[in-house]
Amino acid sequence: MFRVLERKEPDMVPHFELGIDRKVMNKILPGASFEEFIEHMDWDALMSIDRDFWEVEVLDESRRIFRDEWGTLKSYTHEYVPVPLEATIKSEKELENYQPPDPDKESRFEQIQRWVKRYEGERAIIAMVMDHNSMSSDILGFEERLMAFYTNPELVLRVHQMVLDYFLRYINNVIEAGADIILIGGDWAYKNGPMFSLEHYHKFVLPPFKAMVQQAKKRGVYVMKHSDGNCWSFLDSIIEAGVDGFHPIDPTADMDIGEVKQKYGDRLCLIGNVDCAATLSFGTVEEVRQETKDVIRKAGVGGGLIVASSNTIHSAVKPENYVEMVRTIREYGRYPLDIKALG
Amino acid sequence: MDRTKQISEAIVQLKWDEIAALTNEALEAGIPALKILDQGLVPGMSAVGIKFRDGEVFLPELLLSAKTMKTALEILLPILSQQGTGFIGRVIIGTVSGDLHDIGRKIVASMLQGNGFEVIDLGIDVDPEKFVEVVRDNDVQILGLSALLTSTMPMMEATIKALEKARLRQKVKVMVGGASVTQAYADRIGADGYGADAVAAVEKARALISTQPH
Repeated sequence: MFRVLERKEPDMVPHFELGIDRKVMNKILPGASFEEFIEHMDWDALMSIDRDFWEVEVLDESRRIFRDEWGTLKSYTHEYVPVPLEATIKSEKELENYQPPDPDKESRFEQIQRWVKRYEGERAIIAMVMDHNSMSSDILGFEERLMAFYTNPELVLRVHQMVLDYFLRYINNVIEAGADIILIGGDWAYKNGPMFSLEHYHKFVLPPFKAMVQQAKKRGVYVMKHSDGNCWSFLDSIIEAGVDGFHPIDPTADMDIGEVKQKYGDRLCLIGNVDCAATLSFGTVEEVRQETKDVIRKAGVGGGLIVASSNTIHSAVKPENYVEMVRTIREYGRYPLDIKALG
Repeated sequence: MDRTKQISEAIVQLKWDEIAALTNEALEAGIPALKILDQGLVPGMSAVGIKFRDGEVFLPELLLSAKTMKTALEILLPILSQQGTGFIGRVIIGTVSGDLHDIGRKIVASMLQGNGFEVIDLGIDVDPEKFVEVVRDNDVQILGLSALLTSTMPMMEATIKALEKARLRQKVKVMVGGASVTQAYADRIGADGYGADAVAAVEKARALISTQPH
């Protein structure tokens, strides 16, 4: 994993997923725990998610509404990620009275500590944090915050700072606990392009992001950035900020992994990008095999590639397709790569 | 610059704090509410929609211009309802799944409003039965379904089938949209319209409304 993040050639193209739906896991290895599953599939890394350890207060069991420890009202739906229902902070006054969660709380790090004991030297341990952009969207409200770029920029910057303070401490703590890699989540773009202008990106998004990246880098830990959507306009600046790897290179948003490899392959490790919206969910096993081979061929030469799906193995992914993807990585991903066979 | 042009400019220029005054002044100057809607709000939102589609402006600008437009619309609405006129049609819109990423639907809803439609936004996680109920209980011409994930697109087909079962399919034109949705899928499930982006969706809705009696 580490050779790949340094854009060196490993023995084998690595693989892991940001997440996998329990139903898919159960079809492949019935009754297995997450750890048993990833050992069975031989993932090269596993990821501990900050959000999974937030305390929640259930407010309405039947409508599955709860408040998380950041104070955000959310609802569980039949997808994995809960949906925010309303903003937590609507004014400066509310910000004065607001108390963010404690980044030092021990329970946040137990999973990482367990995994380090179990997997050190064998599999990389990744700690995932949201970025300040997404976290403060939950706190201020997604739309309210974007409009506040114009109507109340001071409030946005203050909330960003508060959120950043949490994440800087949290990053320190997960590194103490033994995390090898920090993955910073939060979507900056969607299908057609970035969610905000370059000017707003430089004013509101990049500086705190850089601070988070540097917090990890100065402790010798690798950093991956995740964002769905068409992220072409961000790649130069995230490399400059110190990011080692980028996920997922969204194929549904005009990001061809071969093109990204050509332009950035010497400076950025690529993680992706077998299509989980179409191929893995509705394609045949042959189509999955071919697409996985395409990804390795386009982006694996010289190292610097971790093959993964284009987001996560969500509930619509056919289990046999996921199994085929991994089988194909093992069959064709040994270095030096056989380009002819990958054709 | 005439007052309605000032208002459409204000929407494009994100003058969220001046729009109420501009709208009230226009009304006081004797400009009919309907004219302010048609020549102020609609061109303003259309212009923003095109800039958004073309990547000249982004979500913050789109959201703030929609909010600006809505501020004006709220002033005009009581007058328009009194006059029993104004909207070119009524649209019900909702996301079929429990989707986190529902911004697309909200953008389309705002654009439709800004183009003279009355929009009932049902939010996310809307079951076929709920759509049927709202279609049954309201005078509505268009039903808009959004889904982001391929795993939830079948709910669009289920909704159309539910309308057929309730014998309401002919009452509305059904439009579909969302990141994974395609024209081919729309055709396959018997939808009446598909928009690849918000501007296309509004154009399609306008085309469909002219074929629906209301």
